[in-house]
Amino acid sequence: MHTVRPRALYTAAFVFHFSVIVGVSCREAVFNVARGLTFLPGSCVSAAERIEPVVEGALGRRLSSSNPVRVGLSTYWELAGVEGRYGYFAPNVPGPYKLVLELHYPEGGVEYALPRASSAAAGLRLVGLLDEIGRTRSEPLREYMVRSIAQATWREHPDAVTVRAVFGTITPPRIGEFEQGQADRYRFLFAYDFTRGDASGREGQ
Amino acid sequence: MSLRANASRFLFPDDSDGWLAILRIGLGLHLALYALSLRSDWSYFLGASGSGGALGREISESMLLAETPLVPRISWFVDVGARIGLSETAVLTLAWACLLAAGWALAVGLFSRSAAIAGWLLHLCASKSGGFLVYGVDRFMTIGLFYLMLSPLPDRLALDHRWRGKALGRPELLGFFRRVLQVHCCLIYFFGGLAKSLGSGWWNGDNLWRALTRPPFDLVDPALLVHFKGLVPVAGIGVVLLETCYPFFIVPKRTRLAWLIGIVVMHVGIGLMMGMYMFALVMIVLNVAAWAPGLSLPSWLRHLRLRKRSRTTSDRVERDGQVPGLQRRPATDPDRAAGEIRSALAPGWRHGAIVIHRPVRRDETARDRPVPSARRPSPIS
Repeated sequence: MHTVRPRALYTAAFVFHFSVIVGVSCREAVFNVARGLTFLPGSCVSAAERIEPVVEGALGRRLSSSNPVRVGLSTYWELAGVEGRYGYFAPNVPGPYKLVLELHYPEGGVEYALPRASSAAAGLRLVGLLDEIGRTRSEPLREYMVRSIAQATWREHPDAVTVRAVFGTITPPRIGEFEQGQADRYRFLFAYDFTRGDASGREGQ
Repeated sequence: MSLRANASRFLFPDDSDGWLAILRIGLGLHLALYALSLRSDWSYFLGASGSGGALGREISESMLLAETPLVPRISWFVDVGARIGLSETAVLTLAWACLLAAGWALAVGLFSRSAAIAGWLLHLCASKSGGFLVYGVDRFMTIGLFYLMLSPLPDRLALDHRWRGKALGRPELLGFFRRVLQVHCCLIYFFGGLAKSLGSGWWNGDNLWRALTRPPFDLVDPALLVHFKGLVPVAGIGVVLLETCYPFFIVPKRTRLAWLIGIVVMHVGIGLMMGMYMFALVMIVLNVAAWAPGLSLPSWLRHLRLRKRSRTTSDRVERDGQVPGLQRRPATDPDRAAGEIRSALAPGWRHGAIVIHRPVRRDETARDRPVPSARRPSPIS
């Protein structure tokens, strides 16, 4: 199979492949700067804001979602696994999120549960899900994700009548604060009430 | 030499299949471990929302569909299974079993190409349908399996070659795909390190402290970290430098082994101190496959010793005008003096305008000997 393929074909594939990777990586770097997530000064932020559309355009992200070029590029980087960023825990490490499920029973009892996984490997994935819930700007998507977790927990506690999902973020102390005995700080972000039947969420603050 | 010839020399160096064997065995074992680690949560993560899935794969797949309809997903298999009367649970179980089988087949090198394609496809489906439940390890597995699937399999350690007599890949294609993996590794670390370097917390130790104390990565007792708190900023800066400078130190052969050891140690640390064993494993496999073949600790140490000895000799020549083993006397006969210096500086060192022809050792192979400039090996190999 390989003998009939000329070197030029491989070279072209190499150039295309790494152009995509460099483009995606640059987009992430520019995104971080443009959103003010780095320590760079304001002039860099405004420059990054100007560059961002150019990089997006080069990657076909400004084309309509049905455009064949955009679809082709998106397909390629999903298949090759090069669609994402490489800066894990960068530029800074976000505070962990916490989802507590408050299960209410008909006789008035209340039980608390956390999203659970049966292995450490699965636990790491659930943490990623909580991060996604905390990060997303889409309110319907956030409610959908919280409701799905609530429903999964509900299946294990079928007697519960309502479930309140309370979502918050934890700010751990810095190393110096920890030495002085300071504990984690919890900040409430939002809560949803789900009732059996329609399982529709009602957000509270 | 023309640009075209240089590019060709860079992209298609002749290479052996040692790196491919490492990548195949490493990713095969990793794929099998991945399947085993998710055995009890497989349906919980990939099931539809009405059938016990944690999140329901519908939302991830819908978002993927909005981007492109061409990327494979678990629902494709579920739909096909439904047509032949298989339940969703049966299809998911079958997919899991095939993933595990693909991992073992890759590890031993049996039906390598088919196993690589099946492993890549099933893993891709799982990671795309599991959308919000994936993290870095899945992305790097996709990258590794994508390259493995396209590489000239089998290698000489694979059962395909040993038992089934399958021919090995051409050296230049082996070199090409190794080069692709090497360049990708360089970009991964460079951009990862660059992103970290722009966060102030990586320079003062805050981010490392937060990473190590953030649940569920908080395997190390914070009191222990406090005990060594002076090292935390150093380690944070070390991580940033290791990653950002990766391309500049892993490419030159002189520093390659040291940098590779540094990166492997960093990933071992991530695995042990943060519990990210699978992530650590896949990164170590990619790095070792890309850079380790051709390196050996004894030869690297010998190389360093030779350099040190030669440098010491050169320094003494510059300082005293005297070469060890030679008597100081006026250099009345330049040719004779050059000959003496040449023999004193062997084996092989270039000093000033005198080019020393390195004697060939008895145990040296043709591959190790310097080649004329037209056939020089590629700068990265």
